[in-house]
This record gives sequence, C-alpha cells and structure tokens, in this order.
Amino acid sequence: MKPRVAFFDFSSCEGCQLQIANLEEEVLDLIKIVDVVSFREVMKEHSDDYDIAIIEGSIMRPMDEQRLRRIRNHAKILVAFGACATIGGVNKIRNQWPVKKVMKDVYGDVDVENNEFFKVSHTKAINEVVPVNYYIHGCPPNRDEIKHVITSLALGKKPEIPNYPVCVECKKNENVCLFELGKFCIGPITRAGCGAICPTNGSPCDGCRGILSKPDVECVMELLQRYDLTYEEMKSRCTIYNTGVFNPKDGMTLVRRGKNE
Amino acid sequence: MTESSSKVVKIITKKDLNSFVDALIKDKTHETIGVKAKGKRFVFGPLEHSRELCLDYDVTILPPKKYFLPQYEKLMGFTLGNSFNVQQSNTEKPLILIGVHPYDIIALEQTDKLYLDSQKDDFYKKRREQAIIIGVDMQQVSERSFAASMNTHVTDSGFDLLLTNIGDKYTITIGSEKGENLLEKYAKTKVAAAAEIEKRDEIQKNLASKFKKNLKVPKEEWSALLVANYNHPIWEKRSQKCMECSSCTMVCPTCFCYDVKDDVSLDLKNGSRIRTWDGCLLRDFTLIGSGEVFREDISKRYRHRFYRKGNYLPERYGFIACVGCGRCGIACLPDIADPCDVMNDLSHFERSDNTGKFFIKQKTEEVADKGLIHIPRSATIKRMEKMTESEMFFEIELDDKKSLGHKPGQFVEVSIFGIGEAPISVSSGPSASASFELVVRRVGNVTSHLFKMKPGEKLGIRGPLGNGFDVKSFEKKHLLLSAAGLGIAPMRSLIQYILDKKNRKKFKDIMILYGAKEPNLVLFKEEIDEWCKIVDVTCELTVDQCAEGECWTGCTGLITTLYPKIHLDKYDSKNTIAVIIGPPIAYRYIIKCLQTLGIMDKNIYVSLERRMKCGVGKCGHCQINGVYVCKEGPVFNYEQIKDLPEAFE
Repeated sequence: MKPRVAFFDFSSCEGCQLQIANLEEEVLDLIKIVDVVSFREVMKEHSDDYDIAIIEGSIMRPMDEQRLRRIRNHAKILVAFGACATIGGVNKIRNQWPVKKVMKDVYGDVDVENNEFFKVSHTKAINEVVPVNYYIHGCPPNRDEIKHVITSLALGKKPEIPNYPVCVECKKNENVCLFELGKFCIGPITRAGCGAICPTNGSPCDGCRGILSKPDVECVMELLQRYDLTYEEMKSRCTIYNTGVFNPKDGMTLVRRGKNE
Repeated sequence: MTESSSKVVKIITKKDLNSFVDALIKDKTHETIGVKAKGKRFVFGPLEHSRELCLDYDVTILPPKKYFLPQYEKLMGFTLGNSFNVQQSNTEKPLILIGVHPYDIIALEQTDKLYLDSQKDDFYKKRREQAIIIGVDMQQVSERSFAASMNTHVTDSGFDLLLTNIGDKYTITIGSEKGENLLEKYAKTKVAAAAEIEKRDEIQKNLASKFKKNLKVPKEEWSALLVANYNHPIWEKRSQKCMECSSCTMVCPTCFCYDVKDDVSLDLKNGSRIRTWDGCLLRDFTLIGSGEVFREDISKRYRHRFYRKGNYLPERYGFIACVGCGRCGIACLPDIADPCDVMNDLSHFERSDNTGKFFIKQKTEEVADKGLIHIPRSATIKRMEKMTESEMFFEIELDDKKSLGHKPGQFVEVSIFGIGEAPISVSSGPSASASFELVVRRVGNVTSHLFKMKPGEKLGIRGPLGNGFDVKSFEKKHLLLSAAGLGIAPMRSLIQYILDKKNRKKFKDIMILYGAKEPNLVLFKEEIDEWCKIVDVTCELTVDQCAEGECWTGCTGLITTLYPKIHLDKYDSKNTIAVIIGPPIAYRYIIKCLQTLGIMDKNIYVSLERRMKCGVGKCGHCQINGVYVCKEGPVFNYEQIKDLPEAFE
C-alpha cells in the first residue's frame, strides 16, 4: 500500500511546497509512490487519514501549537519541511525583541489585544513543540533532497542527510573561497545538502540549513581579523536564519558537532 | 635530474605550443583539459582554446585527482525490486591533462600505489591508463607551497610529456612512447640543442630557491617525529580551532577516501550507486550502523590526518602522503591544516626509533572475485528465521552456485540495491555448497531492510572479505573461545569448522564461553546443546541478567564471571589458543581474564568491528591508525595490535 501523505503549512511563504509543485512532470512519479491526501497549494481535497505529515512553517501562536499537536497525533511520521519548520528560520529574527514591541512596530495603534488571531508568542521551530521524525532542511529545500527523503520514506529507510558542513560541497564544486573575496560566509558551520548553491553562485552562505557546531569564539575573532571582517558582519549573517544560536552573551562557546538528527 | 637528462628532449616555440594545444582541442576523440583562471585562482577544466591555458599558474584550487576519482562517480546502475540487474558503464573519453605540476604528478603516482594494488579499482585504472599527462615545471610558486622541502617540485617520472619554460621557448621532455606519438601527430618540434637542455636543467635546479616556505624537519624524519609525539598536546591545542569542515582533505591531492550512497529515481524503479569524496575530519567518517563513532574526539580526527600522511601510508607504501602543494594551508580558514607548520612546530621535540607502532605487517587474503571490486554477486535468500526481536538468521545462496569459499572470521558486504551495503560476518563454517549463513542485527538501513525481505528475494554479495582465522596455527592446541553478544555469530563459523568430523581431531579440548544480555537473547541455543554433547567440548553460558520467572539454568553475571572457574595448569595455558569476539567494550575485560589464566598475548585472537565500507582497503573508513580492519582484519592476533592506540579505546 502506498503511504498517505499530507502537507500542512504554518507561518511561512509556502515556497517550500512550491518546490514540490515545481517538480513538474516528476510529480506524476511522486504520486505513483505516495497518495497525496492533502496539499492546499495544488488540490482542494483534504483528508485527515494520513501516514506522513510534511509540515512547512514555524509556530507563532498557541492556536498553531494546538493544530500541530493534532497533526502529530494523526501522523505516523512527521517531517519538518524547510528552514521555518526545521530551525525557525527568518521568522525567528523577531525573537530578538519582546513580542509586545514587535506587535507595536508592525501593527501600530491597531487594537490586536483582544483578537485571538493576534495572540502570538516567540517563534518556535516544529521540534520545539512536537517530536519530529525527519528533517528536510533549507530555504527553500533542495529538490534532490526532497526526492531523496520521499523515496527513502517510501522504501522504508532512514533518509541520509549530510551531517557535515557546506564547505565539503563547496570544495567539491571548486569554488574560490568567499573569505578570500572578503565576504563572511557561514558555510564552514552550516549543514550541507544544498550542493553549496549560494557560494557556488557567489553569495555567502546564510546558514538556512542550520548550524552544526558553534566554533570557538577566539577562533572566530582570529578569522575576522585575518580576512579583515567585522563582528557586525558576522552577527548579521548569523541572525538571518539562526537567531538565538549566536548570542554574543554566551560568547559562542565551543560546541562540537554531535549526532545527526 | 640525471634520469630526465637521459630522456629525449624536444624544443617548441610558444606559437607552436599554442598550435599543438589547439590541435589537441580540435580532436574530439579525447577531452583536452588544462589549467584555466577562475577569478584570482586557477582550476583544471576543459579547454576550448589555447588562449585559456595558463601555464604560469601557482596552484589550482583542486588537484587533478578530480579527473581520476571524481567528486561524484556512478559505480553502477541497478533496478530495484526482485531482480538482480546491475549495469556498469564507462564510456568516458580519454583525457589529456595539460599543465600538471610535478607535485601533482607525484601525487597521482602515489594514488596509483593504493588504487592499483592487488585489489585494483577498475574505474581509476581505466582512466589512468587512458589519460595522457602533459606536465609543466613550475613558473610561479604558491606562497603556501613547500614542495621543494618534499622534493616534489621536480619529477623524473609520471608524465608523458613535461614542458619547461626556458624563456622564449619551451623544452619538452618526453616521458613515454604515448607522449612521443602525441607530439609526432599534433606538434611541430625540433630536437633540443645541448644549450637548451642545460637551460632546462638550470631552471629545474634553481626552482628550489623560489620557495618561501620550508620544512625544518627533513621529510625522512616525519615518521619518527610523529611516532614519538602521538600524545603531544599540539593535537589537542591546534584542533581546538578546527571547524570540522574537512576542506583540508577535499583539496588534498593525496587524500582519496570516499563514501558510497545509493540514489533512486522518484518512481522507485531504477537507481545508481554513487561514490563521493569523504574526509577523515568529518565526525560521521567512522560512524557505524549501530551508532558508534570510533573517532569522536576532534583532536583524534585532526591527528589522524597527519599520521596517515606522515606515518601510516609511508610505513605501508614507502612514500610520505604529502607533496607540499600547500592547498590545505590555503583552504583552512583557521590555518591549522598546513603539514609544514605542524612538522615545524613538532621539530623541537623528540624523535623515536620505533616505526611499527601504528602499523602491522600481516599477510592479507586475496579477494576471491578479483574481477570488479565494487560489483556484488547475485544471491538469493533461501531461509529466514527470527532469532530474537532484533536478530534474524539468514541462509543465502549465491546464484552462480559457487561456494563462497570463506574462512571462519571473514565477512561479506551485503548489498540491497537502493538501500546500500553493510558488512556482516559469515556465521556458518566453510562449506563446498553455494549457501552460507548470516546473523543480522537490526541497526541501520540495510539491516532493517533485510528484516522486511522474504525468502526468494535477491541480494548482492561482495566477498568473502578480510582476514579470517589462521586455523592451521590452532592445530594441536586447546581452544578457549569467548563470545559476547552477537560475537557468537562469527564464532559459530569457527566452531563449525573445528567441530567438523574431518577437523575435530586436529584440535585438543575446546571450551566455549558465551555471554548474552538476557536468556531470550541467547542465540543458537539448541546448537550449543549439541556442541556440548561432543567429547572434550565444554560450553559455559551466562546472562547479564535474568528476570524473575524466566527459565534459565546457566550462570548469571557478565561473561568475565566465567573465567575464575577455569583451571588451566601452567602446561595447558601455554598450549591454549584463546579467541574473543564481542562488542568493543568487552575486549579489555576478557583479555585481562585470559592473562590471569596465564594465556600468552601471542595466543589470543580478536575480531574487531569498524566501519568496513569498501572492504578492499581504499575508502579509509575502517582504519585503526595505520591498519585497515577490512584488509588486515577483522581477525587480529592480540600481541600484534595490543599497542595500536585506537584499537581498544
């Protein structure tokens, strides 16, 4: 029997699901191996009977948490899909300020206090609310990796997601290192699997696939000095997708890479 | 340089050299590769015009290894499902590489030693045989290069042609008949005059003085220096800055470890097995199915790289696996990867006369199927029996109906197309029939998938691989066999051999000790009962714990509780061979018990587990210091490896 798959989205741009819609004719192969029972972006039918739930987006509100828990109860396998879901991503940038301030900045004097839809907390990644079985990283996720995860689940095997940094793929692509070009790139500490697409096209890695290890603060400072970069440059790059990971107060203590999630 | 002087030397004008290159590019029967600019750096890439070729480059980002062991390489294509359909295609055009520096030429010669040894890598072999190397003497020296200190800045061999810029012209030193023919066919050259050859020799001689970076330690002393400083704080200190990105190994011309993965099409019908570069600085490099990582600590991974370069490969093949190109120094952001810096830092410390500490010399078994080392043989599952919740028994038959031809202690790589490969010890004794038996514990992707399969379904088998037990040397001895946990599975292969009617008389008394976690996890219980009935065979079983109400008549406690009950007199202990197979943690304790009994280290044999991926000493994953577990092991004599630092950690 084909596994039944449902897609859900929370706070996100729905661009990750678009990556699946963008598989084009390969979507036909996809529906040969799985039954898609819910996918708001491409179909109007919906069913609550599914084996695999693929979740896009991060969690902002108590009502989202409730919905996510319901999905978790239905699904045998839950997959966090895309940076908002796997690490919180850009939605976490606002965690740098108190929720009240953020609401004030965005909505001004509009009364949102008594509206349930505006009851928000700090942004959470999916695994901060419910247990996650597998991750499809990236913003947006790499289509080859999406296929790898879906075929793996259909074959009943654990997907093999890289547990090494972007540098590995960047070196294989024989790119000129962006540090040599005076840019700050967080490829050395970011999970690979994207094929180093950004550095290969001249754009420094922003860490959308999540941080693998936090390097020694002394080492980073030395690095900045050697390549004539500033702490601010590094900080801004690290907060795009990974707010909270690099807190200057905790001094970026050395955290060594561990088990793959 | 004496030898290159004896080689035929031609002379070519710069204009004619360009015409030569253009003529090569025009001929599409081969692919013409040369050094091109990429921003401020250089890369090897396909040439479209001689104008692109830079012969005065300093160093390329990646070495030419990418043309012989590509970053991603399809080893085979296959069909998923219940058929065995493996296709191997290699229709690549021959390559002509123009502008290879001497150190990279030497690095390729080193790679040959490993990839073209008794277990030849077919893909690498074909590419190397087809390729033509047109070297060039260095005109610019990279700031980070220390090739002169490694004596790899010039070379006498390894090229078909070697270009040297002598000012207005190039000399071409002819290194092979292939090179000579190429020149004849495509180039306009003249025989070099004595003065021109002299000029070339002078340029080669003066090159060494251009290097800014030099070693304080002669390269001959690397090995001794490393052996003496294995526990030096330098490894811990320098590795603290390591980002674990393995850029150093990726750009290295003498790092050629790889990983293998199966990719499947979205319709789940076809797939391919892909080989890709791997690096020993990455954590998962030594990760095995059960989740154990054998080199978890970054300082050990960092150290491993230098020891592989300066001690392990030199001891095995006679060359230092560093050609001083300086690429790692450029690529490493915290700048801790440069071997020249490391050796110079170490130069103040002591050297050792001991050279064999991290390496053992042992005869290795030849792989039975010498044809293609990556391609599995087709096999069928004959019988499956669930032994415990997480262990399954398999009887497997090779479809060519030939015997596996294994020795006790050897293993096979079990292949499920689309899922992957896993090393599994053979659990049955040597036999003339085409079937053999395995016990599989469900831990990773391959083993979990095996559990879901059914008799009649197809598998791939590579092997037998590795070194088995030298059963001949066990003859006329008492045998004390200790199996802990799943160790009983490979041990059963040895026991079946020994207890075979043809062989039983060759050995004296046999004592089998077996420890399992719980009574319901004891494997082969009925068979063990049968063994006990044989004269002069004793079996002692123990379980770590026994729940109340469970039926268990044996002992309770760890396997180590069994040894104090054994009484060997002095004479017997000298005549006893002990064999241990179990999880890594068990060895140290069991060995202590055996030593207490008076059994000599040289009479103890162990079987070690590591991440055996290729099984033929290439991919690098199973290395314990300088030892390949897949080749020299998994069976080792304890005395030989007891001092190997990583073996029992």
